[in-house]
Amino acid sequence: MAATMFVLPGQELDSSLLPSHPTLPLKLGPGLRHIPPNTITPTVAGQLCTDKRKNAVWVEFNGGRYIPTAGDLVIATIQKSSVDVFYASLSDYTSNATLPQLSFEGATKKTRPQLAQGALVYARVTLANKHMDPELECVSSSTGKSEGLGPLIGGMIFNVSLGMSRRLMLPKPADQGGLVLLDEIGGQGIAFEIAVGRNGKVWVDSKSLKCTLSIGKAIQDTDEKTLTADEQKKLAKKVAREA
Amino acid sequence: MPREVEPSQNEKQFFARALQENIRLDGRAFDQFRGLEVEFGEEYGVADVRLGKTRINTHITATVEPPFPDRPFEGTFTITTELSPMASPAFTSSAPTPTEISLSRLLEKTIRRSGALDTESLCLIAGSKVWSIRADVHVLSHDGNLVDAACISVMAALQHFRKPDTSSEGQNVTIYTLREREPVPLSLLHFPYCVTFNFYKVEKGKNEEDEVKMLIDGCGLEEALRDGSLTVGMNRHGEVCQVAKLGGMAVDAVALLGCIQVALVRVKDISAFVAKRLEEDAKKRDKGGMMAELSAENDRVS
Repeated sequence: MAATMFVLPGQELDSSLLPSHPTLPLKLGPGLRHIPPNTITPTVAGQLCTDKRKNAVWVEFNGGRYIPTAGDLVIATIQKSSVDVFYASLSDYTSNATLPQLSFEGATKKTRPQLAQGALVYARVTLANKHMDPELECVSSSTGKSEGLGPLIGGMIFNVSLGMSRRLMLPKPADQGGLVLLDEIGGQGIAFEIAVGRNGKVWVDSKSLKCTLSIGKAIQDTDEKTLTADEQKKLAKKVAREA
Repeated sequence: MPREVEPSQNEKQFFARALQENIRLDGRAFDQFRGLEVEFGEEYGVADVRLGKTRINTHITATVEPPFPDRPFEGTFTITTELSPMASPAFTSSAPTPTEISLSRLLEKTIRRSGALDTESLCLIAGSKVWSIRADVHVLSHDGNLVDAACISVMAALQHFRKPDTSSEGQNVTIYTLREREPVPLSLLHFPYCVTFNFYKVEKGKNEEDEVKMLIDGCGLEEALRDGSLTVGMNRHGEVCQVAKLGGMAVDAVALLGCIQVALVRVKDISAFVAKRLEEDAKKRDKGGMMAELSAENDRVS
Protein backbone atom coordinates (compact mmCIF):
# COMPACT_ATOMS: atom_id res chain seq x y z
CA MET A 1 0.00 0.00 0.00
CA ALA A 2 1.55 3.29 -0.99
CA ALA A 3 0.87 6.45 -2.92
CA THR A 4 -0.87 9.02 -0.74
CA MET A 5 -2.12 12.14 -2.45
CA PHE A 6 -4.66 14.62 -1.15
CA VAL A 7 -7.76 15.04 -3.33
CA LEU A 8 -10.80 17.32 -3.24
CA PRO A 9 -14.34 16.44 -4.41
CA GLY A 10 -14.77 16.69 -8.16
CA GLN A 11 -11.05 16.87 -8.81
CA GLU A 12 -9.79 15.48 -12.09
CA LEU A 13 -7.60 12.46 -11.50
CA ASP A 14 -4.59 11.85 -13.67
CA SER A 15 -4.68 8.30 -15.02
CA SER A 16 -1.11 7.76 -13.81
CA LEU A 17 -2.40 7.90 -10.23
CA LEU A 18 -4.65 4.93 -10.77
CA PRO A 19 -3.03 1.50 -10.56
CA SER A 20 -3.08 -0.83 -13.51
CA HIS A 21 -3.05 -4.60 -13.56
CA PRO A 22 -2.84 -7.03 -16.47
CA THR A 23 -5.72 -9.30 -15.38
CA LEU A 24 -7.73 -7.79 -12.49
CA PRO A 25 -10.27 -5.03 -13.19
CA LEU A 26 -9.89 -1.78 -11.30
CA LYS A 27 -11.87 -1.83 -8.02
CA LEU A 28 -13.31 1.43 -6.76
CA GLY A 29 -13.57 1.83 -3.00
CA PRO A 30 -15.42 4.41 -0.91
CA GLY A 31 -15.13 8.03 -1.88
CA LEU A 32 -14.81 7.53 -5.64
CA ARG A 33 -17.38 7.53 -8.39
CA HIS A 34 -17.24 6.24 -11.92
CA ILE A 35 -18.87 8.41 -14.60
CA PRO A 36 -19.01 6.46 -17.82
CA PRO A 37 -17.12 6.13 -20.04
CA ASN A 38 -13.73 7.12 -18.72
CA THR A 39 -13.96 9.46 -15.74
CA ILE A 40 -13.22 8.54 -12.13
CA THR A 41 -13.71 11.43 -9.67
CA PRO A 42 -13.50 11.64 -5.89
CA THR A 43 -16.68 12.64 -4.08
CA VAL A 44 -15.09 13.48 -0.72
CA ALA A 45 -11.94 15.25 0.43
CA GLY A 46 -9.20 12.98 1.72
CA GLN A 47 -6.14 10.96 0.84
CA LEU A 48 -6.19 8.88 -2.31
CA CYS A 49 -4.90 5.38 -1.51
CA THR A 50 -4.07 2.59 -3.91
CA ASP A 51 -3.35 -1.10 -3.53
CA LYS A 52 -1.38 -2.55 -6.41
CA ARG A 53 -1.91 -6.19 -5.44
CA LYS A 54 -5.68 -6.06 -5.47
CA ASN A 55 -5.81 -3.31 -8.08
CA ALA A 56 -8.00 -1.20 -5.81
CA VAL A 57 -8.21 2.57 -5.29
CA TRP A 58 -10.16 4.52 -2.64
CA VAL A 59 -10.21 7.73 -0.63
CA GLU A 60 -9.40 7.78 3.10
CA PHE A 61 -11.50 10.46 4.73
CA ASN A 62 -12.67 11.36 8.21
CA GLY A 63 -16.33 12.26 7.89
CA GLY A 64 -18.69 13.39 10.59
CA ARG A 65 -21.75 11.33 9.76
CA TYR A 66 -21.81 7.54 9.67
CA ILE A 67 -23.38 6.18 6.47
CA PRO A 68 -24.29 2.49 6.94
CA THR A 69 -22.77 0.03 4.49
CA ALA A 70 -23.46 -3.69 4.33
CA GLY A 71 -20.96 -5.83 6.22
CA ASP A 72 -19.99 -3.16 8.77
CA LEU A 73 -19.82 -4.03 12.46
CA VAL A 74 -21.63 -1.41 14.53
CA ILE A 75 -22.72 -0.77 18.11
CA ALA A 76 -26.46 -0.04 18.17
CA THR A 77 -28.72 1.17 20.98
CA ILE A 78 -32.13 -0.50 21.29
CA GLN A 79 -34.90 2.12 21.24
CA LYS A 80 -38.05 0.01 21.21
CA SER A 81 -39.27 -3.43 20.31
CA SER A 82 -42.30 -4.40 18.33
CA VAL A 83 -43.81 -7.76 17.33
CA ASP A 84 -40.78 -9.52 15.96
CA VAL A 85 -38.26 -6.79 15.41
CA PHE A 86 -36.18 -4.43 17.54
CA TYR A 87 -35.63 -0.83 16.50
CA ALA A 88 -32.05 0.19 17.20
CA SER A 89 -30.37 3.54 16.70
CA LEU A 90 -27.00 3.71 14.97
CA SER A 91 -26.45 7.46 15.26
CA ASP A 92 -28.31 10.40 16.75
CA TYR A 93 -29.60 12.09 13.62
CA THR A 94 -30.75 9.15 11.58
CA SER A 95 -33.82 6.93 11.59
CA ASN A 96 -33.67 3.65 13.47
CA ALA A 97 -32.34 0.43 12.00
CA THR A 98 -34.35 -2.78 12.32
CA LEU A 99 -32.95 -5.85 14.07
CA PRO A 100 -35.08 -9.02 13.78
CA GLN A 101 -35.60 -10.73 17.13
CA LEU A 102 -34.68 -14.08 15.64
CA SER A 103 -31.26 -12.91 14.45
CA PHE A 104 -29.59 -13.93 17.68
CA GLU A 105 -27.72 -17.11 18.46
CA GLY A 106 -30.07 -19.81 19.71
CA ALA A 107 -33.22 -17.70 19.29
CA THR A 108 -36.45 -19.40 18.34
CA LYS A 109 -40.05 -18.23 18.26
CA LYS A 110 -40.47 -19.41 21.84
CA THR A 111 -37.20 -18.07 23.26
CA ARG A 112 -36.64 -14.54 22.12
CA PRO A 113 -33.92 -12.29 23.55
CA GLN A 114 -35.18 -9.80 26.10
CA LEU A 115 -33.59 -6.46 25.38
CA ALA A 116 -34.79 -3.37 27.24
CA GLN A 117 -34.79 0.16 25.90
CA GLY A 118 -31.27 1.51 26.07
CA ALA A 119 -29.48 -1.83 25.77
CA LEU A 120 -26.37 -1.95 23.60
CA VAL A 121 -25.81 -4.61 20.95
CA TYR A 122 -22.85 -5.40 18.74
CA ALA A 123 -24.34 -6.13 15.33
CA ARG A 124 -23.51 -6.39 11.65
CA VAL A 125 -25.29 -4.36 8.97
CA THR A 126 -26.99 -6.66 6.49
CA LEU A 127 -28.88 -4.21 4.34
CA ALA A 128 -28.04 -0.58 3.75
CA ASN A 129 -29.00 1.71 0.94
CA LYS A 130 -30.03 5.31 0.93
CA HIS A 131 -33.70 4.63 0.23
CA MET A 132 -34.44 2.31 3.13
CA ASP A 133 -33.77 2.05 6.83
CA PRO A 134 -30.74 -0.13 7.51
CA GLU A 135 -31.10 -3.68 8.80
CA LEU A 136 -28.89 -5.44 11.34
CA GLU A 137 -28.18 -8.95 12.50
CA CYS A 138 -26.53 -10.32 15.65
CA VAL A 139 -25.66 -13.72 14.26
CA SER A 140 -23.57 -14.82 11.32
CA SER A 141 -26.09 -15.84 8.67
CA SER A 142 -23.85 -18.59 7.26
CA THR A 143 -22.76 -20.38 10.45
CA GLY A 144 -25.64 -19.49 12.77
CA LYS A 145 -23.21 -18.61 15.55
CA SER A 146 -22.93 -15.20 17.17
CA GLU A 147 -19.15 -14.81 16.69
CA GLY A 148 -18.85 -12.04 19.20
CA LEU A 149 -22.05 -10.27 18.22
CA GLY A 150 -24.98 -9.76 20.57
CA PRO A 151 -25.78 -7.68 23.66
CA LEU A 152 -22.97 -5.81 25.45
CA ILE A 153 -23.28 -6.03 29.23
CA GLY A 154 -21.64 -3.63 31.65
CA GLY A 155 -18.69 -1.51 30.67
CA MET A 156 -19.01 1.93 29.17
CA ILE A 157 -19.43 3.34 25.69
CA PHE A 158 -17.27 6.18 24.32
CA ASN A 159 -17.70 8.28 21.19
CA VAL A 160 -14.81 8.54 18.74
CA SER A 161 -14.51 9.93 15.23
CA LEU A 162 -15.27 7.70 12.27
CA GLY A 163 -11.65 7.75 11.14
CA MET A 164 -10.51 6.51 14.54
CA SER A 165 -12.96 3.61 14.57
CA ARG A 166 -11.72 2.63 11.12
CA ARG A 167 -8.11 2.69 12.35
CA LEU A 168 -9.06 0.55 15.35
CA MET A 169 -10.63 -2.04 13.07
CA LEU A 170 -7.69 -2.40 10.66
CA PRO A 171 -6.08 -5.84 10.55
CA LYS A 172 -2.71 -4.33 11.48
CA PRO A 173 -3.45 -1.11 13.40
CA ALA A 174 0.19 -0.40 14.26
CA ASP A 175 1.52 -0.50 10.68
CA GLN A 176 -1.43 0.74 8.70
CA GLY A 177 -2.98 3.23 11.12
CA GLY A 178 -0.16 4.24 13.43
CA LEU A 179 -2.11 3.00 16.42
CA VAL A 180 -0.06 1.33 19.14
CA LEU A 181 -2.14 2.40 22.13
CA LEU A 182 -4.16 -0.75 22.71
CA ASP A 183 -1.19 -3.07 22.20
CA GLU A 184 0.81 -1.02 24.69
CA ILE A 185 -1.95 -1.03 27.30
CA GLY A 186 -2.24 -4.80 26.94
CA GLY A 187 1.53 -5.05 27.12
CA GLN A 188 1.47 -3.26 30.48
CA GLY A 189 -0.59 -6.09 31.87
CA ILE A 190 -4.02 -4.48 31.97
CA ALA A 191 -6.90 -6.86 31.19
CA PHE A 192 -9.71 -5.31 29.19
CA GLU A 193 -12.37 -6.16 26.67
CA ILE A 194 -13.22 -3.90 23.77
CA ALA A 195 -15.77 -3.69 20.95
CA VAL A 196 -15.45 -1.14 18.17
CA GLY A 197 -18.43 0.00 16.11
CA ARG A 198 -17.87 1.53 12.71
CA ASN A 199 -20.47 4.18 13.63
CA GLY A 200 -17.97 5.94 15.87
CA LYS A 201 -18.60 4.10 19.14
CA VAL A 202 -16.18 2.08 21.27
CA TRP A 203 -17.33 -0.13 24.16
CA VAL A 204 -14.75 -0.86 26.87
CA ASP A 205 -14.99 -3.14 29.89
CA SER A 206 -12.29 -3.80 32.46
CA LYS A 207 -11.95 -5.06 36.00
CA SER A 208 -12.38 -1.72 37.72
CA LEU A 209 -14.38 1.37 36.89
CA LYS A 210 -11.33 3.63 36.96
CA CYS A 211 -9.52 1.34 34.56
CA THR A 212 -12.40 1.30 32.09
CA LEU A 213 -12.69 5.06 32.28
CA SER A 214 -8.98 5.71 31.75
CA ILE A 215 -8.77 3.32 28.78
CA GLY A 216 -11.78 4.97 27.15
CA LYS A 217 -10.40 8.45 27.76
CA ALA A 218 -7.02 7.36 26.36
CA ILE A 219 -8.69 6.28 23.11
CA GLN A 220 -10.59 9.56 22.89
CA ASP A 221 -7.43 11.57 23.57
CA THR A 222 -5.49 9.67 20.88
CA ASP A 223 -8.29 10.54 18.51
CA GLU A 224 -8.85 14.20 19.37
CA LYS A 225 -5.22 15.18 19.80
CA THR A 226 -3.89 12.89 17.01
CA LEU A 227 -1.10 11.47 19.17
CA THR A 228 1.98 9.95 17.59
CA ALA A 229 3.21 6.45 18.44
CA ASP A 230 5.59 7.72 21.14
CA GLU A 231 2.92 9.84 22.76
CA GLN A 232 0.59 6.85 22.71
CA LYS A 233 3.22 4.77 24.51
CA LYS A 234 3.48 7.44 27.21
CA LEU A 235 -0.30 7.56 27.53
CA ALA A 236 -0.44 3.76 27.86
CA LYS A 237 2.07 3.90 30.73
CA LYS A 238 -0.07 6.55 32.42
CA VAL A 239 -3.15 4.34 32.08
CA ALA A 240 -1.26 1.42 33.60
CA ARG A 241 -0.17 3.57 36.56
CA GLU A 242 -3.70 4.76 37.28
CA ALA A 243 -5.20 1.28 37.25
CA MET B 1 -35.67 13.87 13.27
CA PRO B 2 -35.86 15.73 16.57
CA ARG B 3 -35.51 13.35 19.45
CA GLU B 4 -34.07 13.69 22.95
CA VAL B 5 -31.06 11.42 22.99
CA GLU B 6 -31.49 8.98 25.88
CA PRO B 7 -28.28 7.54 27.31
CA SER B 8 -27.91 3.76 27.03
CA GLN B 9 -28.32 1.40 30.00
CA ASN B 10 -24.58 0.83 30.12
CA GLU B 11 -23.90 4.56 30.41
CA LYS B 12 -26.53 4.98 33.14
CA GLN B 13 -25.13 2.13 35.24
CA PHE B 14 -21.52 3.19 34.71
CA PHE B 15 -22.32 6.75 35.70
CA ALA B 16 -24.18 5.63 38.85
CA ARG B 17 -21.24 3.44 39.90
CA ALA B 18 -18.79 6.25 39.21
CA LEU B 19 -20.80 8.60 41.44
CA GLN B 20 -20.76 6.07 44.27
CA GLU B 21 -16.98 6.02 44.03
CA ASN B 22 -16.89 9.85 43.84
CA ILE B 23 -15.45 9.83 40.34
CA ARG B 24 -16.58 12.23 37.65
CA LEU B 25 -16.42 10.93 34.09
CA ASP B 26 -14.11 13.62 32.77
CA GLY B 27 -11.93 13.60 35.87
CA ARG B 28 -13.05 17.00 37.23
CA ALA B 29 -13.80 17.75 40.87
CA PHE B 30 -17.49 17.88 41.73
CA ASP B 31 -17.44 21.66 42.10
CA GLN B 32 -15.25 22.47 39.13
CA PHE B 33 -16.27 24.23 35.95
CA ARG B 34 -15.04 23.00 32.58
CA GLY B 35 -12.43 25.04 30.72
CA LEU B 36 -13.99 28.44 30.04
CA GLU B 37 -12.90 30.45 27.01
CA VAL B 38 -14.29 33.86 26.01
CA GLU B 39 -13.44 35.47 22.67
CA PHE B 40 -14.62 38.72 21.21
CA GLY B 41 -15.32 39.55 17.60
CA GLU B 42 -14.06 42.35 15.39
CA GLU B 43 -17.30 44.25 15.88
CA TYR B 44 -18.20 45.60 19.29
CA GLY B 45 -20.71 43.45 21.13
CA VAL B 46 -19.93 39.98 19.75
CA ALA B 47 -18.90 37.40 22.37
CA ASP B 48 -18.13 33.74 21.71
CA VAL B 49 -18.10 31.60 24.86
CA ARG B 50 -16.89 28.00 25.07
CA LEU B 51 -17.57 25.92 28.17
CA GLY B 52 -16.08 22.54 27.35
CA LYS B 53 -17.85 21.54 24.14
CA THR B 54 -20.81 23.87 24.70
CA ARG B 55 -20.46 26.92 22.50
CA ILE B 56 -22.63 30.05 22.56
CA ASN B 57 -22.33 33.20 20.50
CA THR B 58 -24.08 36.45 21.47
CA HIS B 59 -24.52 39.53 19.35
CA ILE B 60 -25.66 42.90 20.75
CA THR B 61 -27.28 45.48 18.48
CA ALA B 62 -28.75 48.89 19.22
CA THR B 63 -31.40 50.86 17.37
CA VAL B 64 -33.34 54.03 18.15
CA GLU B 65 -37.02 53.34 18.84
CA PRO B 66 -39.95 55.01 20.59
CA PRO B 67 -40.24 53.81 24.21
CA PHE B 68 -43.14 51.89 25.77
CA PRO B 69 -46.01 54.30 26.49
CA ASP B 70 -46.07 53.46 30.22
CA ARG B 71 -42.30 53.87 30.59
CA PRO B 72 -41.32 57.01 28.70
CA PHE B 73 -37.98 57.48 30.44
CA GLU B 74 -36.55 54.02 29.88
CA GLY B 75 -34.92 52.29 26.94
CA THR B 76 -35.78 48.72 26.00
CA PHE B 77 -33.65 45.64 26.36
CA THR B 78 -34.65 42.28 24.87
CA ILE B 79 -32.86 38.95 24.96
CA THR B 80 -33.73 36.44 22.25
CA THR B 81 -32.40 32.89 22.30
CA GLU B 82 -31.99 30.74 19.26
CA LEU B 83 -31.32 27.03 19.64
CA SER B 84 -30.21 25.98 16.18
CA PRO B 85 -30.78 22.33 15.17
CA MET B 86 -27.06 22.05 14.50
CA ALA B 87 -26.46 22.26 18.23
CA SER B 88 -28.28 19.05 19.16
CA PRO B 89 -30.68 16.55 17.60
CA ALA B 90 -33.23 17.54 20.25
CA PHE B 91 -33.76 21.01 18.80
CA THR B 92 -36.18 21.76 15.97
CA SER B 93 -36.50 24.99 14.06
CA SER B 94 -40.27 25.09 14.48
CA ALA B 95 -41.61 24.79 18.04
CA PRO B 96 -39.56 25.97 21.02
CA THR B 97 -38.48 23.00 23.09
CA PRO B 98 -38.76 23.07 26.91
CA THR B 99 -35.00 23.64 27.04
CA GLU B 100 -35.32 26.79 24.99
CA ILE B 101 -38.21 28.14 27.03
CA SER B 102 -36.48 27.57 30.35
CA LEU B 103 -33.23 29.05 29.00
CA SER B 104 -34.87 32.29 27.88
CA ARG B 105 -36.82 32.57 31.15
CA LEU B 106 -33.69 32.13 33.27
CA LEU B 107 -31.74 34.68 31.21
CA GLU B 108 -34.66 37.07 31.46
CA LYS B 109 -34.85 36.81 35.24
CA THR B 110 -31.12 36.94 35.84
CA ILE B 111 -30.14 39.73 33.50
CA ARG B 112 -33.14 41.74 32.46
CA ARG B 113 -35.33 41.75 35.58
CA SER B 114 -32.43 42.26 37.96
CA GLY B 115 -31.59 45.49 36.22
CA ALA B 116 -28.07 44.64 35.11
CA LEU B 117 -28.44 47.07 32.24
CA ASP B 118 -29.45 50.58 33.34
CA THR B 119 -32.35 51.26 31.01
CA GLU B 120 -32.79 54.87 32.12
CA SER B 121 -29.36 55.69 30.70
CA LEU B 122 -30.65 54.55 27.33
CA CYS B 123 -33.14 57.39 27.13
CA LEU B 124 -32.45 60.02 24.44
CA ILE B 125 -35.63 62.10 24.32
CA ALA B 126 -38.18 61.20 26.97
CA GLY B 127 -41.35 59.86 25.46
CA SER B 128 -40.19 59.73 21.85
CA LYS B 129 -36.70 58.36 21.28
CA VAL B 130 -34.79 55.76 23.27
CA TRP B 131 -32.10 53.18 22.56
CA SER B 132 -33.42 49.66 22.09
CA ILE B 133 -30.73 47.12 22.92
CA ARG B 134 -31.20 43.63 21.57
CA ALA B 135 -29.13 40.61 22.58
CA ASP B 136 -29.30 37.63 20.20
CA VAL B 137 -28.03 34.45 21.83
CA HIS B 138 -27.10 31.71 19.33
CA VAL B 139 -26.42 28.26 20.73
CA LEU B 140 -23.95 26.65 18.36
CA SER B 141 -23.14 23.45 20.23
CA HIS B 142 -24.95 21.83 23.16
CA ASP B 143 -22.95 19.71 25.56
CA GLY B 144 -24.75 20.60 28.76
CA ASN B 145 -25.11 23.70 30.91
CA LEU B 146 -26.55 26.13 28.39
CA VAL B 147 -27.78 28.53 31.08
CA ASP B 148 -24.42 29.32 32.64
CA ALA B 149 -22.66 29.64 29.30
CA ALA B 150 -25.44 31.82 27.85
CA CYS B 151 -25.35 34.13 30.86
CA ILE B 152 -21.58 34.56 30.62
CA SER B 153 -21.93 35.17 26.91
CA VAL B 154 -24.61 37.88 27.28
CA MET B 155 -22.80 39.67 30.11
CA ALA B 156 -19.47 39.57 28.26
CA ALA B 157 -21.10 40.90 25.10
CA LEU B 158 -22.88 43.69 27.01
CA GLN B 159 -19.63 44.78 28.59
CA HIS B 160 -17.90 44.65 25.21
CA PHE B 161 -20.57 46.54 23.28
CA ARG B 162 -20.24 50.23 22.36
CA LYS B 163 -23.24 52.29 21.28
CA PRO B 164 -22.81 55.28 19.00
CA ASP B 165 -22.32 58.62 20.75
CA THR B 166 -25.22 61.07 20.61
CA SER B 167 -26.03 64.68 21.37
CA SER B 168 -29.49 66.20 21.61
CA GLU B 169 -30.93 69.68 21.15
CA GLY B 170 -34.57 69.99 22.04
CA GLN B 171 -36.41 67.30 20.12
CA ASN B 172 -33.56 66.55 17.71
CA VAL B 173 -31.00 63.86 18.33
CA THR B 174 -27.75 63.62 16.40
CA ILE B 175 -26.23 60.17 16.29
CA TYR B 176 -22.57 60.28 15.43
CA THR B 177 -21.08 57.62 13.21
CA LEU B 178 -18.10 55.60 14.33
CA ARG B 179 -15.79 57.81 12.33
CA GLU B 180 -17.03 61.05 13.85
CA ARG B 181 -16.90 60.13 17.50
CA GLU B 182 -15.74 57.09 19.48
CA PRO B 183 -18.67 54.91 20.58
CA VAL B 184 -19.67 54.78 24.22
CA PRO B 185 -19.96 51.70 26.47
CA LEU B 186 -23.31 50.70 28.02
CA SER B 187 -24.08 51.57 31.61
CA LEU B 188 -24.16 48.31 33.57
CA LEU B 189 -25.15 48.43 37.23
CA HIS B 190 -23.99 44.98 38.27
CA PHE B 191 -22.79 41.80 36.62
CA PRO B 192 -24.89 38.73 37.40
CA TYR B 193 -23.77 35.24 36.40
CA CYS B 194 -25.52 31.88 36.77
CA VAL B 195 -24.25 28.66 38.32
CA THR B 196 -26.16 25.43 37.75
CA PHE B 197 -26.07 22.49 40.17
CA ASN B 198 -27.20 18.99 39.22
CA PHE B 199 -28.47 16.60 41.91
CA TYR B 200 -28.23 12.83 41.84
CA LYS B 201 -29.68 10.27 44.18
CA VAL B 202 -27.07 7.65 44.99
CA GLU B 203 -28.23 4.43 46.56
CA LYS B 204 -26.02 3.25 49.35
CA GLY B 205 -27.60 -0.08 50.17
CA LYS B 206 -30.35 -1.38 52.41
CA ASN B 207 -29.08 -0.14 55.74
CA GLU B 208 -27.89 3.31 54.76
CA GLU B 209 -29.93 6.23 53.58
CA ASP B 210 -29.75 7.35 50.01
CA GLU B 211 -27.18 10.04 49.54
CA VAL B 212 -27.56 13.12 47.40
CA LYS B 213 -24.57 14.07 45.25
CA MET B 214 -24.20 17.47 43.71
CA LEU B 215 -22.27 18.30 40.52
CA ILE B 216 -21.57 21.74 39.04
CA ASP B 217 -21.56 22.43 35.30
CA GLY B 218 -22.79 19.11 33.99
CA CYS B 219 -21.82 17.95 30.52
CA GLY B 220 -24.42 16.48 28.16
CA LEU B 221 -24.47 13.01 29.70
CA GLU B 222 -24.52 14.32 33.30
CA GLU B 223 -27.46 16.59 32.50
CA ALA B 224 -29.42 13.80 30.85
CA LEU B 225 -29.04 11.59 33.93
CA ARG B 226 -29.74 14.16 36.63
CA ASP B 227 -32.56 13.81 39.15
CA GLY B 228 -32.93 17.50 39.94
CA SER B 229 -31.24 20.81 39.27
CA LEU B 230 -30.83 24.25 40.78
CA THR B 231 -29.75 27.43 39.01
CA VAL B 232 -28.52 30.35 41.11
CA GLY B 233 -28.08 33.77 39.50
CA MET B 234 -25.96 36.16 41.53
CA ASN B 235 -23.25 38.78 41.19
CA ARG B 236 -19.81 38.85 42.72
CA HIS B 237 -20.97 40.89 45.73
CA GLY B 238 -23.13 38.01 46.89
CA GLU B 239 -26.45 39.58 45.83
CA VAL B 240 -28.71 36.81 44.59
CA CYS B 241 -30.82 37.74 41.55
CA GLN B 242 -32.77 34.54 41.23
CA VAL B 243 -32.92 30.96 42.46
CA ALA B 244 -34.62 28.46 40.16
CA LYS B 245 -35.32 24.90 41.17
CA LEU B 246 -37.79 23.72 38.58
CA GLY B 247 -39.14 20.36 39.74
CA GLY B 248 -36.86 17.41 40.21
CA MET B 249 -36.07 15.54 43.40
CA ALA B 250 -36.46 17.09 46.82
CA VAL B 251 -33.27 18.55 48.27
CA ASP B 252 -32.54 19.55 51.86
CA ALA B 253 -32.98 23.30 52.37
CA VAL B 254 -29.68 23.69 54.20
CA ALA B 255 -27.95 22.01 51.28
CA LEU B 256 -29.44 24.65 48.99
CA LEU B 257 -27.97 27.41 51.12
CA GLY B 258 -24.63 25.64 50.87
CA CYS B 259 -25.02 25.63 47.09
CA ILE B 260 -25.42 29.41 47.10
CA GLN B 261 -22.16 29.75 49.02
CA VAL B 262 -20.35 27.56 46.49
CA ALA B 263 -21.93 29.55 43.66
CA LEU B 264 -20.55 32.79 45.09
CA VAL B 265 -16.99 31.48 44.82
CA ARG B 266 -17.58 30.37 41.23
CA VAL B 267 -19.21 33.68 40.26
CA LYS B 268 -16.22 35.61 41.57
CA ASP B 269 -13.92 33.45 39.43
CA ILE B 270 -16.08 33.96 36.34
CA SER B 271 -16.30 37.74 36.88
CA ALA B 272 -12.53 38.00 37.22
CA PHE B 273 -11.99 35.87 34.11
CA VAL B 274 -14.37 37.88 31.93
CA ALA B 275 -12.87 41.16 33.17
CA LYS B 276 -9.41 39.91 32.25
CA ARG B 277 -10.49 38.93 28.75
CA LEU B 278 -12.17 42.31 28.24
CA GLU B 279 -8.99 44.06 29.33
CA GLU B 280 -6.90 42.06 26.88
CA ASP B 281 -9.32 42.84 24.09
CA ALA B 282 -9.26 46.57 24.97
CA LYS B 283 -5.46 46.57 24.84
CA LYS B 284 -5.54 44.99 21.40
CA ARG B 285 -7.89 47.65 20.11
CA ASP B 286 -6.04 50.50 21.79
CA LYS B 287 -3.78 51.74 19.04
CA GLY B 288 -1.01 53.94 20.30
CA GLY B 289 -2.64 54.58 23.62
CA MET B 290 -5.09 57.12 22.18
CA MET B 291 -8.20 55.54 23.71
CA ALA B 292 -8.00 57.56 26.89
CA GLU B 293 -8.01 60.77 24.86
CA LEU B 294 -10.83 59.71 22.55
CA SER B 295 -13.25 58.40 25.16
CA ALA B 296 -16.36 60.50 25.67
CA GLU B 297 -17.01 59.19 29.19
CA ASN B 298 -17.22 61.68 32.02
CA ASP B 299 -15.40 60.86 35.23
CA ARG B 300 -18.53 60.98 37.39
CA VAL B 301 -20.31 58.39 35.20
CA SER B 302 -17.63 55.68 35.49
